[in-house]
Amino acid sequence: MRRIPVALWLAAPGLLLLLALMGGPVVLLVLESLKPFVPGSIRPGEGVTLGNYTELLAPAYLFYFQETFRFGIIVAGLSVLFGAPLAFAAVRSRSALLRKLLLALLVGLLVMSLIARLYAIEMAWGSLGPLAPLGALTGIAPRSPRYAEVQVAIGLLHFTMPVVALMLVGTFRALPPRLEEAAASLGARRSDVVVSVVLPLAAPGLVSAFLVALAMCISNFVVPLILGRGIVTLATSLMYTRFADIGNYPSGAAIGVVMLVLAFAVVYGLSALARRVLPGARL
Amino acid sequence: MIGAALDLAGRVAARVAVLAAVAFLLVPLLVACLMSFDDRSFLGPFPPRDFSLRWYRAFLDNPAYTDGLFVSLQLGVIAAAIATAVGLAAALALADPRLPGREAMEAAFLSPKFIPTVVIGFSLLVFTARLGIYEPMTRLILGHVVITLPFTLRAVAASLIGVKRSQVEAAMSLGASEFRALWDVAVPAARSGIVAGAAMAFVLSFDEVAVSLFLSDAFTQTLPIALVAEMRANLNLTIAAVSTVFLAATVVLLVLLDRTIGIERLAGDVGARG
Repeated sequence: MRRIPVALWLAAPGLLLLLALMGGPVVLLVLESLKPFVPGSIRPGEGVTLGNYTELLAPAYLFYFQETFRFGIIVAGLSVLFGAPLAFAAVRSRSALLRKLLLALLVGLLVMSLIARLYAIEMAWGSLGPLAPLGALTGIAPRSPRYAEVQVAIGLLHFTMPVVALMLVGTFRALPPRLEEAAASLGARRSDVVVSVVLPLAAPGLVSAFLVALAMCISNFVVPLILGRGIVTLATSLMYTRFADIGNYPSGAAIGVVMLVLAFAVVYGLSALARRVLPGARL
Repeated sequence: MIGAALDLAGRVAARVAVLAAVAFLLVPLLVACLMSFDDRSFLGPFPPRDFSLRWYRAFLDNPAYTDGLFVSLQLGVIAAAIATAVGLAAALALADPRLPGREAMEAAFLSPKFIPTVVIGFSLLVFTARLGIYEPMTRLILGHVVITLPFTLRAVAASLIGVKRSQVEAAMSLGASEFRALWDVAVPAARSGIVAGAAMAFVLSFDEVAVSLFLSDAFTQTLPIALVAEMRANLNLTIAAVSTVFLAATVVLLVLLDRTIGIERLAGDVGARG
């Protein structure tokens, strides 16, 4: 009898766990989403239907998904725009202390409670907060209900920026400093070096970071829950209300399946596309 | 001339962007920290004039919070321990180039990270109900292990990159069994990843809302669930006190992690997402 490799034994607990706790539930979720909903009952009806999916194609529902992507794309863009200089400073600053402090800040935010951070944002950017005048620069008054949109965007940005910056720290660390030194020794100015040497080399990393930030925004649940004040409804909150407020499990399951597909499409589909355009993008 | 001006403008813009980003990330935390010592009995405008510890006392006097804290600590430790053990074993397996279907397995192990946590919570709720598991702590542990596993695996895998397969094989050629060789050679080398992964798993579990919201019941609430309920009902400064405690705990954790594995290394281990 052939001996089973040790590596397989080591992988087995994890694989079984995933199969039981992710594979099983996801299959059930798909089955659940195909059941008809009986209003007023938490028990689904008999038979198989695609009704829960076709319902989502109605303009009212498409709007939620469109909103989700609008927030995601704006926030992911800003996240990369500010995260990249932050990461570059954390890797290439001349001061060792500054490099360490920036890294500590980023890692610290990564391990710090998101709930506490969101509450702090409400304190600082809310209508009573000291940063409210800055928030008003968006053109939405801090006292108007629509200001919740600004708060949600700020919350998502606070959530994604440390992750984006740490991913880019990895990207910038991997760039050989010799190329920059060579360009500088040939007389290029620092800003020219960054624009014509660093950015093109880091482009795949920047694209990956953008996509991860986008996926994080689409999947996030806590930010609209806490800062959305019931005014900003994104796809995740929509799914939760289906389940918690209306008790419509099949429809909640259908939204869940759609979100699952969207999240994987962003992470794997778009990054495959990016790899084709920019060889070397890693994800 | 114009080139020099542009160069200067570019450098200034980069500095401003870094400063703006740091301020954006830090200022809210400092505001909440200061507000938590406010002596006013209501939520007034910033800054507070008189300071006291009344909101810290209010936290300790509220059983919803203290019970939640206990549940969250218990849950975090158990889930992190399981996720770290399983993640370590899986990372050791994935480091073996002879493992069949290695790439597919790696993708499978990392996939929970990309599934929205609401979807995990919802589907686990349906699943555990079907299996007849209603005990909230069991449900919560199952859910938290699933969401933390990719992080422990990833952190251990990152720290195993430096360990050469040949070192393990050298130990085996000296007569050690493969298990023994991995335990004595690879596991000690992966220490930084194990610590970073376990810390990350605990922190993630301790802060988790979506999965817990689906899997907890009225009697077993985690601290985040209690906090979110309070935040949505009436915004008060008790939560500022909790946030400040979290901030302090984060600083302590950072110092500890810096002492044991170093921030530079840690940034590499936990930052390697994606």
